[in-house]
Amino acid sequence: MTQEKAVQAPKKVDTTLPEEDNETVDILDTFKEFISLIEKSAEDFDARYILKVFRELTTVRKEISSDTLVSLIEYVYPETGNSKTSSTKGYLFQTLSVDPSSEMDTRDDVEGNGEKVESKRSDPIAEVDIFIHLLVQIYLHDQKQYKKLHAFNMRCIDALKSYDRRTMDYIQAKVWYYIFRSCELVRDLIPIRAELMRALRTATLRHDTETRASTISLLLRDYLLTNDINQAYNLVEKTEFPQDASNSVVARYYFYLARIQAIQLDYSSANECVIAAIRKCPQTKSALGFLQTVTKLHILIQLLTGEVPDLTTFRDPHLESSLTPYLAVTRAVRLGDLKIFNAALEKYGGHLKRDENYNLVLRLRQNVIKTGIRIISLAYKRISLKDICIKLHLDSEISSEYIVAKAIKDGVIDASINHKAGYMQSKELLDVYSTRAPQSEFDRRIKFCMSLHDDSVKAMRYPMNMNRVEDKVDPEAREREQELIQYLQDADGF
Amino acid sequence: MATITSAAPYLSLLVDSNPQLKTYALESLNTVADELWAEIANYITEIEELYEDHSFARRQLAALLASKVYYNLGDYEAAVKYALLAGSELDLSKKSEYVETIVSQCIEQYIHLSQTRFSEKSVLIEPQLASIFEQMVSKCVVDGDPRLALGISLEGYRLDLVDKILRDAKGKSDDETRSLVGYVLSAITTTSDIALKTKCLSQLAEILLSLANPDYFLLTKIVVQLNDSKLVYRVFKGLLALPSNASIAYQIAFDLVGAASQQLLAQVTASIEDTDTSSQANNMLLRILSGVPTCDLDLTFLSDNNAADSQIMTATRKSLDGRNSLFHSAVSFTNAFMHAGTTDDSFFRSNLEWLGRSSTWSKFSATAAFGVIHRGNLSQGRNILEPYLPGSTSSPYTNGGALYGLGLIYAGQGKEVLDYLRKQVVDNSDNADNKDADVVLHGGCLGTGLAAMGLADPQVYEELKAVLYADSAISGESAAFAMGLVMLGSGNAEALHDMFTYAQETQHETIVRGLVVGIALICCGKENAAEPIINKLLQHQDANLRYGGCFALALAYCGTSNKTAIRRLLHVGVSDSSDNVRRVAVMALGFVLLLDYQNVPTVVELLSQSHNAHVRYGAAMALGISCAGRALQSAIDVLDPLSKDSVDFVREGATIAKSMILIQQTEKTYPNIKEFREQLASTVSNKHEESLARFGAALAQGILDAGGRNVTIQLENHQTNTLNTKAIVGLVMFVQFWYWFPLAHFLSLSFTPTAIIGVTDHLKVPKLKINCHCPPDVFGYPPKVESQVKQQTEKVTTAVLSTTARAKARAALKAKNKKDDDDDDDDDKMDVDEKKEDTDEKNVEGKKEEKKGDEEDRAKKPSLSNEELQSPTLLSLYVQKPYQLDNMTRVVPAQLKYITFSKDERFTPVRKFRGISGIVVLNDSKPSQKFEKIKTVRERTNTDAPVPEPFTIDPATDKGLFEIPEDDQ
Repeated sequence: MTQEKAVQAPKKVDTTLPEEDNETVDILDTFKEFISLIEKSAEDFDARYILKVFRELTTVRKEISSDTLVSLIEYVYPETGNSKTSSTKGYLFQTLSVDPSSEMDTRDDVEGNGEKVESKRSDPIAEVDIFIHLLVQIYLHDQKQYKKLHAFNMRCIDALKSYDRRTMDYIQAKVWYYIFRSCELVRDLIPIRAELMRALRTATLRHDTETRASTISLLLRDYLLTNDINQAYNLVEKTEFPQDASNSVVARYYFYLARIQAIQLDYSSANECVIAAIRKCPQTKSALGFLQTVTKLHILIQLLTGEVPDLTTFRDPHLESSLTPYLAVTRAVRLGDLKIFNAALEKYGGHLKRDENYNLVLRLRQNVIKTGIRIISLAYKRISLKDICIKLHLDSEISSEYIVAKAIKDGVIDASINHKAGYMQSKELLDVYSTRAPQSEFDRRIKFCMSLHDDSVKAMRYPMNMNRVEDKVDPEAREREQELIQYLQDADGF
Repeated sequence: MATITSAAPYLSLLVDSNPQLKTYALESLNTVADELWAEIANYITEIEELYEDHSFARRQLAALLASKVYYNLGDYEAAVKYALLAGSELDLSKKSEYVETIVSQCIEQYIHLSQTRFSEKSVLIEPQLASIFEQMVSKCVVDGDPRLALGISLEGYRLDLVDKILRDAKGKSDDETRSLVGYVLSAITTTSDIALKTKCLSQLAEILLSLANPDYFLLTKIVVQLNDSKLVYRVFKGLLALPSNASIAYQIAFDLVGAASQQLLAQVTASIEDTDTSSQANNMLLRILSGVPTCDLDLTFLSDNNAADSQIMTATRKSLDGRNSLFHSAVSFTNAFMHAGTTDDSFFRSNLEWLGRSSTWSKFSATAAFGVIHRGNLSQGRNILEPYLPGSTSSPYTNGGALYGLGLIYAGQGKEVLDYLRKQVVDNSDNADNKDADVVLHGGCLGTGLAAMGLADPQVYEELKAVLYADSAISGESAAFAMGLVMLGSGNAEALHDMFTYAQETQHETIVRGLVVGIALICCGKENAAEPIINKLLQHQDANLRYGGCFALALAYCGTSNKTAIRRLLHVGVSDSSDNVRRVAVMALGFVLLLDYQNVPTVVELLSQSHNAHVRYGAAMALGISCAGRALQSAIDVLDPLSKDSVDFVREGATIAKSMILIQQTEKTYPNIKEFREQLASTVSNKHEESLARFGAALAQGILDAGGRNVTIQLENHQTNTLNTKAIVGLVMFVQFWYWFPLAHFLSLSFTPTAIIGVTDHLKVPKLKINCHCPPDVFGYPPKVESQVKQQTEKVTTAVLSTTARAKARAALKAKNKKDDDDDDDDDKMDVDEKKEDTDEKNVEGKKEEKKGDEEDRAKKPSLSNEELQSPTLLSLYVQKPYQLDNMTRVVPAQLKYITFSKDERFTPVRKFRGISGIVVLNDSKPSQKFEKIKTVRERTNTDAPVPEPFTIDPATDKGLFEIPEDDQ
């Protein structure tokens, strides 16, 4: 199939050349602008422009064609460049399955519109070189040419190793993402680990937060996909995740962390992590898939900790349909009815397995019983074990005694068992406001708000000379601000 | 090999009892450590135990594995620890990130340990660590990067390694060694550890002296910093061994006079006198070292080229009421600054009535102003002040002022008058309770302090101490200042102790302030050696002592940009409870950041917006001090709002600071200078302006045109790359005018003549031409007339209010005539310039080759001034066709980079590199021939020269260069 696509792409261009031409030129111009922004970023040691490029890239990535890429590569890597430049150019063309000599004509066509006179470019700087690699990756990925993408990986890794510049961090992190993505798509997950580990080490030594964050989360994903939970847990335990990485990576990391902890039975920390993941998740359409997955996990973790998720969670229009199986499971747990639970499992089993949550759901069987006991303990001040056995459809009175004892030990219910008389005695409900619980909860929330405030203050940029602002209001700064506001209004993330 | 996903199988072998299995496990783990470290880390205790187990053969392998795991965990300290224990298992030549990190961490740890060991011998350094460090250093040398090796060795305080590298280099080539020594020299000046610096510098001097053909100029830079007279003597002896090197020796002697302390000069003179005074060269050297020729040449330059604008002075005197003592002093200071060193005291003579209006301390200041005007007039100074000295007139204020003035004339060169001044102090020291004697004593002490500055003479010090202990608020204060001046930069522990103790005892605030500033002067340049006294002062409960602590910190770390010092000053500046302390703490930043002046505006910008007026004043002065003479635009940007401040003394400080920064700027180099001059004039004449602001504006006028527009404030000696201590002392004392106006005269110590004065090896000043590759009007004197026209038009506007139209018309006519005259003047000037250019054109062709050489020079030498960075107009100033300057004419610092000496001329400078200024010793290619020369002031007073025919360069001045036919002397 990939072969087919590769052949198709240039053909399509050939047939519709007249109309496409303009468009290609437009996109080409956009990319040239990107490149000049990246160069500016590298010059000023200011990553803002690169971030801007990524924001805009989201909207145009669908329009990348092999033609655009070829012209762009021709533009960036000059004929007269050194051996490295020409070899890079060579393999880039090879990857795009274009014969450089034949493509020359196309380029001439495109540049025929007076662009030839443009001043000669020297060898591309590191950032631009890597950015072109990234574009090729994105193109191959969007064209679903996974094998080619996977084959391209080694080239990318080599290219990354040859540079050491801090302004490259953001691009580098993205390149790693696509390298790993290709491995995942062709199911070749083990060998990449060593490379990722190496990249993580290098990034740590160079204080490259973005790449560090990116590689850690990719490694975790790798371990999770191969069910190497122990390894994942080891990694999490022994690395420090950089908190100032970009939000989307942090969200992903928290999600993996939550999964690992949930599997490791550490539900309360898993719950915290999954909430953090939801909060950090970009609030846009492009991140909807992620939000769905995280919400599913959140629901399960809530159920596993004995809480029942809010009904409104399931009513969100974006999530409603995907959450149907979970709604069924939640209902079963809420009612503490094993019958409904089993029915739900049967009906949605396949769906849950696809979500890779089936194992977690199976753990809920215990919770269904626990919830049942809780409801009983709330409803009856005193109830015989036999009645419990009947209500919960348990096998025997003894097993119900065990289960109740376990529930008491786990703190699910506040009760005691009278073994002689064979009944369970519930204790009076305490007034929760007489305990420390509200205070600590309040404290937690205040802390959260304060840290949110602090983070926002830290993220703000102040003009250098406040007292001279009136002299010359920087038009560029104002423009940037406008852009940012607009961007915040309509879209987010990559 | 298939990739394994878990280290568990190997890990389980670690606890096996069979050592072979353990070894196998370790070997296998070692290969996969980089991928599976997270899992292996769970067993780190077992691995460490394996290393501890001495019976285990491959325990070093265990250490290596542990090191790798710790490295991956990010615990680099532990990683280094185990890497060192791994011994032979660790292959340092392997190229991997692990090895690189370990080595760099090793070096870091070693440097840290070694630095602490330098002061505390008890610190132990593991031999493995040291060996890795040494290996890396020698590897650098082998790889042909000795500079890197030298830098690292210096950072690790390993002077033995530095020595070894330099001596090895010496075996190869002398040139290379010289450049390396220069590199080490520039590197070592940044360290704040004074002990290390001294040790390193003496080592460098030894190496340089051992070369076959040492670079004596480089050596001079070292000896000035070392302050070691024996070394200087050796340098001179080495130079004079070859007669051809005599002129180099003279150049160095001139440099020393400009840069070294009086104590060093006196010691060197003594040691040369001891050995041999018969040879002509030695005698000449002694003459130069006496400082007399330097002063004579500077004085000649300043008096011949005086371009002070008497109109400004007249206007200022008229608008400031002489009956007010503040304004009277202001006029005294302005006049003194404007004519500093020019010997032009005509203002006093033409304003006798004004002079007579002075009373008490304003009389003191007015008399002392003579000293400033005749500064450096070593031959005539005493005679000029004779009518005012004790015994001649009755007023104690005149007497005291004259003694102070005498000190100013002979500041730092006081041999001739020191005994007289000391006698005055000793004679009066018993009756300090007599008011008149007290005032005379005040002047006498200041004068003695100035004359004996930096002499560190214990006898003078004791005499002053006797005055101090009499505990008079007036003479005690000046004695305290003088004690500091005498012991300047000596760090004398006994003096520090005496002064600190007395500062805590006395009841007089003035004496306390005098003492603490004196302490600060003693600490000058001592860096961390002065820490104990700085801490004592800064932590004292008395605000006056903390006040001194700030100055001590400033002077001890002067020009070092030491981060800790800056942090401490900033902390004091924002947190102290006393306004005075906060003010000087901020001001002190200017001294610490002297050489890093571009950063001062950003550092003090926020402080300049403080709600506390004293802090704002401090910020303004910090800028004035650090950027003095640099015309830094960003500094002016910060000062501009301050000169419109609502508090009078902040405006005063801001205008003074601005004038210090803009000294000697022309409209071409700083376009707004004209506006600034006008603003000063209007502030001075504005009756509604507060008096302190008017005082500041008047002073600023004096500073802006200081020394007849021929001096600048230069805090760094360019010849030796050292700080100009005299200038810094001048500034420190000047800023004390906040409490005691007469101290403002000290600013004259900071003035450096901006000229190129070429002298032959017989100390004659030949006529010669110097090329300047820029348009002639860029660095020329500012036009004098402008201010006067302005004044006239102002008069017209005020006259509108008067009733008679006729008076108006008359005034307008007068103004018009005046203006016409001025225009004529301008025309004349233009003609002269054109003529000059004509002659230039003829010369151009002959000089093409020489220019090429110069351009190469330029590429090699970094530019001295940073002006070109800030002002784009200056970038394009370079013109291929130079115009010519005469010997002994004004060349401002920014102009230096356009100056070249023609190689084809008869006289060429001894020192070959660019950017030279001040006194330049010349080589004479035709010594037998006669040449035209310029007579110095001293020569003129000594001989009956024929009546000179005036040679006018600038028709605007009636004093110009005199062309005197060669006489046989």
